[in-house]
Amino acid sequence: MRYLTIALSKGRLTDLSVELLEKLGIDCSEYRNESRKLIFTDEKSRIKFFLVKPADVPTYVEYGAADIGIVGKDTLLEEGRHLYEVLNMGFAACRMVVAGPAELAGKLDSLNNKRVATKYPRIAREYFEHKRRESIEIIKLNGSVELAPLVGLSEVIVDLVESGRTLKENGLVILDTIADISARLVVNRVSMKMESERINAIIEGLKQQLQG
Amino acid sequence: MSKWKIYTPDGVQDILFEDCCMKRSLEQKLRALFRSCGFNEVETPSIEFYDVFASDEGAMPQEDMFKFFDQQGRILVLRPDITVPVARITATKYREAAYPVRISYIGNVYRYNDYGGGKQNEFTQAGVEVLGISTPESDAEVIAVAIQALKASGLESFQVDIGQVEFFNGLMEETGLSEKDTAQVRTLIDHKDYVGLDEFLNRSEIRDDLKKLISGLPGFFGSVDVIEKAEAFELNKRSRDALENIRQVLNILEDYGLGQYVSVDLGMLRGLSYDTGIIFRGFTYGVGFPILTGGRYDKLVGEFGKECPATGFSLGVNMILMALQRQKIEMEKPGTDSLVCYAGQGRKTAIGLCAELRNQGLVVELDIAGSTAEEAKKYAAAKNIGGVIRIVDEDTVEIHYIQSEEVIRVKISELLKR
Repeated sequence: MRYLTIALSKGRLTDLSVELLEKLGIDCSEYRNESRKLIFTDEKSRIKFFLVKPADVPTYVEYGAADIGIVGKDTLLEEGRHLYEVLNMGFAACRMVVAGPAELAGKLDSLNNKRVATKYPRIAREYFEHKRRESIEIIKLNGSVELAPLVGLSEVIVDLVESGRTLKENGLVILDTIADISARLVVNRVSMKMESERINAIIEGLKQQLQG
Repeated sequence: MSKWKIYTPDGVQDILFEDCCMKRSLEQKLRALFRSCGFNEVETPSIEFYDVFASDEGAMPQEDMFKFFDQQGRILVLRPDITVPVARITATKYREAAYPVRISYIGNVYRYNDYGGGKQNEFTQAGVEVLGISTPESDAEVIAVAIQALKASGLESFQVDIGQVEFFNGLMEETGLSEKDTAQVRTLIDHKDYVGLDEFLNRSEIRDDLKKLISGLPGFFGSVDVIEKAEAFELNKRSRDALENIRQVLNILEDYGLGQYVSVDLGMLRGLSYDTGIIFRGFTYGVGFPILTGGRYDKLVGEFGKECPATGFSLGVNMILMALQRQKIEMEKPGTDSLVCYAGQGRKTAIGLCAELRNQGLVVELDIAGSTAEEAKKYAAAKNIGGVIRIVDEDTVEIHYIQSEEVIRVKISELLKR
């Protein structure tokens, strides 16, 4: 039997993902015991899995280097890859929003030239160009995006919001919600066909775990 | 100024000795197969007018095409596919031909960011088109040729999924959704995005039974049972006809004895914008991209001035080679049988001997570096050449076998009789 390969996101999704896999009966002891290995194998169920940066998970799955991936919807939207998105795993829930200073509330349209600071240029562009039909200037940042409107780098930001506390403490408000975000199970388009039985068993198993 | 001269641009590749040999031999097998099925090959220009690919039916996103201008300022493109040029040819140059017209091609196409090409910007497509006929037999023939092409390439485990875009179109007609919403549902189903699909359906006013069917559509793939599963729902004629069409095609493929290679996917929708009926995709292990795509396109030829139903497929030659390599399937490799070397007076004899051996079908190199026997053997070993033939005199040669290190002396007349 071929190995099925699963790509997991390094970071806040890791522990929850591994727990779920264990509940499905996949042996993750190699991961639990060894910290230096890059690929972990469960010989019994012929499954391999590895951890990569979240933004890389869709790439591995699109090329078929991994058959299955667990990754946040934010990453999927930003990467825009050809994948099957088969299951909402529910955890790591948050929202992708447009935020800005309180005085902009309800006046987003009146702003002529918008500079948008974000870690997610593609999502921001997609939202402003297709939903709002506006041209914008994207300013790509790599962290602390909330700072940008405070120091005049941008008018608004597009970012993930979990509780909204950071925004509030910096005097920013949510101007619009772009999408609800949570962890998703994605599958390579070819693997879904060539290994449909085993992959469907995993999907069904996960569905039950998540409902239970 | 010459900063880039030692590099190749993104998404293109040099194809070197072994790969090139494998590619040519695969292309040869495909060409022979297509010919034996009665297809006639055409070669279309690499450069076409942008307008050819910008028509309503064949529209390809303009950002995916390589564009430039001719001297009159008209927009040109490097052809992003060969199906559309074949449609142009059929409508303009084979208008009066006896239908069906069977056309095949093998050529390079150029696209930015292409998924179908395995993310390469230049790749080779081989394919066939059957024009002027819309019978299920013609759909089945094209699928059968596609399967035979995969078999001829040496692949053993692969699968071809068949869908029918009219099934989905019938469903959408029944729901009365706007064109924009339909496009969204199409993308959601094609991405098997259950989450987004359910969100969408919850927001829209559609009959409950249809909602149930549409929300399950991404999972409607597998054996023929899928068709029955869909038929259990209340469908309009358009959708029903589409299912019946798939069934007919599957039955014909059974007659070809190729039933084991095909399965059904009612949730396969995207394909190309000009699809009008049966569509299909081929998959194998080792490459995460489809290795072939095809389908019916009854409206496309009409864009060029003659209404004419048509169907066809193209397969990605580079991707099949990648799959063969990853699946460790042996392919023909370039090899040289002998190196003929000589000293002084032997040149004429050596040239004559080379010609004779080549006539017998051997691959023979003539030493042009004036090597000694030792140098020649070293070179032969490095190049994996089977043996060195050293001219001794007009009638005699010395054969040095590289692997066994054996040396024998024979008459040329005897050598040629072997």
